[in-house]
This record gives sequence, structure tokens and C-alpha cells, in this order.
Amino acid sequence: MTEQRTDGLAAEPTAGSRRERRGPAAIGRQIIASVGAENLSLLIALAILVVLIASQSDKFFLSQNLLNIGQNISVVGLVAIGETIVIVAGMLDISVGSIAGVASVVAALVLLGSGDVVGGSGLAVSAGNAPAAVVGGILIGLVLGLVNGFIITALRVNAVIATLATLSAFRGLAFLIAPGGKPVTVLNQGFIALGTGRLDLIPGWPIPVSLLILLAVAVGFGVLMRYMDFGRAVYALGGNPAAARLAGIHVTRLKLWIYALSGAAAGMAGIILTARTNSGQPASGSQGLELEAITAVFLGGASLQGGRGTIAGTMLAVVLIGALSNGMNLLGIATFYQLVAKGALLVVAVAISQWRQARAERARTRVAA
Amino acid sequence: MSIETPEPSSLLEIRGLAKAFPNVRALRGVDLDVRAGQILALIGENGAGKSTLLRILSGDYRPDAGVLSLDGAPLTLAGPRDSRLTGIRVIYQEPEIVPGVDVAENIWIGELPRRGPFVDRRRLEARVRHDLAEYGFQAVLPMKAMGHELSPAQRQLVEILRALKSNVRVLALDEPTSSLTDEEVGRLFALIRRLRDRGVAIIYVSHRIREILQLADRVAVLRDGALVAVRPARDLTEREIVRLMVGRELQEMLRRHPAAEDRVVLSVEHVSSNWHRDISFEIRAGEVVGFAGLVGAGRTELAKVIFGELPFDTGDVSIGGHRMTLRRPGDAIRAGMGLAPEDRKREGLILVRSVVENASLAILRRLSRFRFVRRQLERRVVGEFVRRLNIRTPSLDQEVGKLSGGNQQKVVLARWLAAKPKLLILDEPTRGIDVGAKAEIYRLIDELANEGIAIMLISSELPEILGLSDRIIVMQSGRITGELPGAGATEEQVLGLAMADNLSTLVRAASVQEEAQR
Repeated sequence: MTEQRTDGLAAEPTAGSRRERRGPAAIGRQIIASVGAENLSLLIALAILVVLIASQSDKFFLSQNLLNIGQNISVVGLVAIGETIVIVAGMLDISVGSIAGVASVVAALVLLGSGDVVGGSGLAVSAGNAPAAVVGGILIGLVLGLVNGFIITALRVNAVIATLATLSAFRGLAFLIAPGGKPVTVLNQGFIALGTGRLDLIPGWPIPVSLLILLAVAVGFGVLMRYMDFGRAVYALGGNPAAARLAGIHVTRLKLWIYALSGAAAGMAGIILTARTNSGQPASGSQGLELEAITAVFLGGASLQGGRGTIAGTMLAVVLIGALSNGMNLLGIATFYQLVAKGALLVVAVAISQWRQARAERARTRVAA
Repeated sequence: MSIETPEPSSLLEIRGLAKAFPNVRALRGVDLDVRAGQILALIGENGAGKSTLLRILSGDYRPDAGVLSLDGAPLTLAGPRDSRLTGIRVIYQEPEIVPGVDVAENIWIGELPRRGPFVDRRRLEARVRHDLAEYGFQAVLPMKAMGHELSPAQRQLVEILRALKSNVRVLALDEPTSSLTDEEVGRLFALIRRLRDRGVAIIYVSHRIREILQLADRVAVLRDGALVAVRPARDLTEREIVRLMVGRELQEMLRRHPAAEDRVVLSVEHVSSNWHRDISFEIRAGEVVGFAGLVGAGRTELAKVIFGELPFDTGDVSIGGHRMTLRRPGDAIRAGMGLAPEDRKREGLILVRSVVENASLAILRRLSRFRFVRRQLERRVVGEFVRRLNIRTPSLDQEVGKLSGGNQQKVVLARWLAAKPKLLILDEPTRGIDVGAKAEIYRLIDELANEGIAIMLISSELPEILGLSDRIIVMQSGRITGELPGAGATEEQVLGLAMADNLSTLVRAASVQEEAQR
């Protein structure tokens, strides 16, 4: 950069200079820039929450506990990532928990088909082809997502109704394909590691494999939404479907892809679930995931009207909710209260989102006047 | 009317009214007298301060400075209720109508006559029947039509009737005719004149200069928040009003350099659809073909058929000699078409997204490598068009919904110019935008034709069609009723073709009715 520049651009520190003086303020700015300024309130809420819980429990800040949170959020995080795309596109997918349930059973069945049955009280399987199980789980999620997309586009059923119907249907399917309707125990250690394994990437901080998977998927979907033409089309569709169509976007095909991706992400969540619990579970662990995922997406800044929301915002909200739920456990708050709290949080998240929307609209009319 | 009546005294006095918003001084010291029994037209470009003034009158905004007085008594309007209680009513373009309720209940909503816990339908219907008969609207506003069945004109009438059931002294109308057919405009004008003759003070806000000259007693022109002139309407001409609004003349704005080549770009042959019968025409490179007609003639639908948004049954659409299979707009865009739709907010723009995202939407594939949008390139391309079209935006990342109407329209145009189309369809490109932006769009249309782009121009503003088109095609009820050369065509010729046969009798009947009421 030359010295003579006196315009506003010169005042802006370049990426290089920012890296040189890495004070806490600079790091803070970078974090804000990467999650978006609109998610600032979320970061602040997270900070306040952490301080509150930590002041009540001395266990919260232990590395073990923090990593537990990381492990626990991976399942809901994966579902929420897919849900973000759907909500940004102005729709909703409430069948994601059921898709995760089917994928969980399918992953176990693939292992069953390629491994040995071990005797015992229930059905258990050793060995088996772990990569095939992962592929199988993701694929079934993708297919079920396409089923949602087909019902919504070809049959023109409203998205909420369509996925409410498949929420029930896919849950039934999960029980139907599970032998005897019961969980299948999985003993393949490589597969189980996806859910419970730890990697010593940082000394003293064994990072959960499932958290790494979540991060990888989040980065992948984040790039898709932010840097690729697919993401632009999704934002356009959510912001104004009629205009998106008239701008040349193939809306039907796009909707199919959106639900397929949401299904695939839920399928991945089902795989982690199987790995973590050592068993293909038709219902346990995946029931109610849609509620938590949708809460996280709205809390993360997405708008019910579509066209707004980011993967980064959703991830922040997932961490916030994870910390909250962990804190409530540490403080010994009963599950029933936690359910009420989750419901309340969804209301708060949507209320905040609507309030933002109204404020944006007011700003718009003011300029128009 | 040539009888000299004594000047009525002012009913509503506005003195030194000022209001500022962040970065904008919407009103700066406006003095205005609104007289009982007179129609005062308020005219000005978008952003000139008309809406702000109305919003102050309706109590939505508090002024920063200035005094309002009604009948000589000072007036403080702390909210919409205050404004109504004092007899001031502002009718906005899109009145709130309850869709699932009929006209009678919509008019009396909030004050429905009751009998015990139930609505007293008999009393309600008697009142509404009386009102409709009194204003001569029995035929146009069926009492039992449901809210969702009403046309924009009928919605306006409902809102006006709502206002009239209380004692209204000042009635302000904000662009009431922007979505009305000519026939509906006639009815509305008749009503406004009747109200004036009963001593109501009327403030009439409009972009349509001709309309104002027809209707208003006095004209007030606002520019940049300041009052530039208040004159009797009979002392003003269309030209003069435009000059007062922008300080420029309309004729200068509508200059064209004919550039039509022989190469046919669009060829439509014997197209019939749900909306059309046997439509055939051609548009050549560099040619501007204007489509005139009444609202409902099927022009917008024709544009959408050609663009692949609406289906057609028989006939062919060809671009550059190739017959098209049009399943969706994407097919038309790939063949080199662009469409700036009539309703840019509903169909043109993603209001919650940025200028750059909106402008690049149709060329994302071209800007991408391995499906990754090359954002530097994108910003460069869009930035170029923002400069060329003179789009006034604080940055490329500004939400489009926060721009003014004219700048929003330019963003839609930027999207299509970036796509380098062979054919550009412009459906009401200057609707609801200010004169300054209009002039820029007219100049742009001329430039684009000179670059060899074929332009299908749909407009309901005749001067625009007459001034810009190389050829004019007139439509009526889904058919082409005639074609005129652009040079030398007159408004009468166009209107004659637009209102051939049955419709013209209707219009005549309406004007007879209007005469009779006077």
C-alpha cells in the first residue's frame, strides 16, 4: 500500500496488519467479523450464561466438561445445519428427528448385513463395514429428504404439513425396519469411535471426533451457503420466491436439493447417534431433535419469513443451547423443567427474530417516505 | 366552471412544518393552506416530502417544528386517533381490508351495530345501502362482496366510505389511482368532486400530472422538502408542472435516436393462451416496441408468456430464429431475454438481500468457477452497472428494500443489463418512481436500443409510449387491435384502438353517469 492514499480505504487496517498486533480487541473483532455483527447479541448472551453457570458450579470450566458439551452438541448441531438451509429458503423441516432415527437404524443394519451376529439378550453385531454404514446412513437421509421435497413440490403440500406427516411416517419406518422394532447393538469399534472417540490434537484436550465431524460439516455447508451459487439461490428463494423464479432460478429443483441436504445432515446426525449409544435407535435420542434444531436456527438469527440466517449464527446458537443444557444438568435441574425451558427458548428465539424483522421493515418504510 | 366564486377561507393551516430523518431533511419549513370545498393537489418527486406531510397529518409522525391549525385553533396530533377525532382522514394506497368479511362489515368494522352479542345485519345493511346509494356506488361496490374479491379501486372506495361515516373535514388521498383502470378513476373522481362540493377540504397526492390538472383547483409543488409553488390549476400546464418538479422539460427527457436494424430478435406467431387469442408480432434488434392498452388487456400476461412464466396453448415464440421451448423463466433467460416485472417489490427484488446479490442473481453461473461465486469479479461487474445506472446506494451491500423506488427499479435493470440480453421486456418501468429517475430510465432505454437490444416496452403512460416507441402495438382483451408507427401517432389513435367496441360503450356510459351527477 502506498503512502499517498488518503481516502477512507487506507484507514482500514489490512488483514496483514491486523494479524501483527494481535491484542484481545483484534481477536474479538475477528470473531465478530466471522460470525457477523448481527449475531453479537448471541455472543453476549452466551458469555453472560457461561458466567452465571460457572459462578454456580465449579465443574463447568473443567476441560472435561467443556469437551462433553462439544460432544453433546454434535447431533443437534448437524440437524440444525441442515435446518438452517431449509429455514433460510423460507420453509421448515420438522421431520429431521425422524430421519435421524431411520438413519441410525439403517447404519446399524448395514453393519449387521456385513458383520457377524453375536448372541446375547438383544440383537448385537460385531465387526461389519463401518464406511458402508456411514454412507448408508447419509444416503437414506438424502432419500427421505427427497421424499419431503417431492411431496412439497410435486404434490404441492405445504412444507409444514408435509414434514409433519413424514415426522410420523419416518418414525414408524424406523421401527418397521429395526428387527423386532428393537435397537440393534453395534460393537464395531471403528464405527463407535465416531460417537465417543477422542483425538489428542491439543495436549490435555482430547477433542471428540463427533465435534470434529460437526465442525467439518458446518464449514462445508457454510461455504456452500456463503461462497457458492447454490447459497445465493437459497437466499433468493427464501427472500422472494416469485422474484427468484423470474430471475431464472429453477425453484422446484432447488427445493428438492434443499430438503435432500437437510435429510443428509440429519442422516449424519443419526450415524453419530448410533455410534455414541452403541446401537441403532429408532426413536431414543432422535425424538425432539427438530425442536432443538429449529430453536437454534431462529436463535442464530434466521428469519421466519426466509432470506436471512447463517450457518455461523446457527452454530453459535447450538453452542449456547448446549452450554445452557449442560449448565442445567450440572445445577441438578430436573428434565421436566428443562423441557419447559426448551419450549420457552423457541418462543423467545422466534420473538426476537420477528422483532428484528419488524425493526428492519420500519427502517425501510422510513427511507421510502 | 366559469362562475367566479369568492375564495374560500382556509380550513387547515400549515405553517413552517419541518421534519428530518437521519441523513434526510424530509420537510423544511412548509407553509400551506388547505381550503374547505377545494381540491389541493400535492405533487413532487419521490422523496420530495409528500408522504411525510401526509404522515404528519395522519398523526403517524410528529413534526420537528411548525404549527398546524384547524379553523384557526392550534392542533396537536399525537397519534392517528387524534387526527381522526379532529376530522382529518388520510387514505393510503393500500387500505386495510379484512379478506373474509363482506363490504358492509368492512366499512363499519370496529363500530358494527349490535343486537345483544350479535351483529345487527339488518341495521348494518340499511346504513350501507343508504350510503352506497347516496354516493352512487350501488353498481360498483356490491355490499355483500367479500373483502378478498375486491379490486384495488373497490378497496379504496371502502376506505373512503369508512372515512365518510365520521364527520370528515379534511380528506387526504395518497396516489389513489396508481392501480386503477381508467373507468375506476372516473368513478373515484366523481366521488371526490362530490365531497368537495359538500365543503370537504381535499388533499390529493399524485404522480400523474394530467390527472391533477383535470381534478385539482390548486396545485402545490414540493421539491426536496420545500414548497416551490402553489398556483391555481387553471394557470398551469403539464410542461410547467414537470419543470417545477425537476427544473427540466418532459420533451427533453423523451428523446430517441432510432436504431432499429433488420435482424429480427423476437418473433411471436399465432400465440393463444388462457389470456390471449392469436397474437403475432416481431421485434427487431435495436427496436423499441411499445405495448399500449387498458389495464387487463393482457399485456403483462403476454410478457410472462414470452418469458416462460405463464403457459401458452398454441403458437410459436422464437428468439433469433430459434423456436423456444419455454418451461420456466430460466429457459428464456438462457436464450437471452430479461424481464423487469410490473411489480418490482413482489416479483423483481429480494428486498432483504443486498444490491450486489440482487444485481448478480441472473448471471451467477457466469460469475462462478466450479460453482464458487467469484466475489471480486461480481463486485466489479455490479459496481460498473451501479455507476452506469447512477444507482444511489451507500454501498453495494445495502439491503435493496432500503433504497428508494427509482433506485430499486435500477437494480432490477442492472440485473438484466449484466446478463447482456438480446431482448429486454420492461413492464411499467417507471411506475411509482420520481421524474428524475424516469428521465434516467428513458435515456437508458434509448442507449440500450442503440446497442442493438430489442425492447418490449409495456406502459400505461401514453406520453411514455408515444415518446419512446419505434412502433406501437395496441392490445385489448387479449388481442392485438392495431399497430401504429411511433412517429406521428397520437393519444387519440392509441386510445381508439385500446377501447375499440364493447369497452368504449362502457366508458361512455360511465362519463354520462358522471355528467348526470353534477
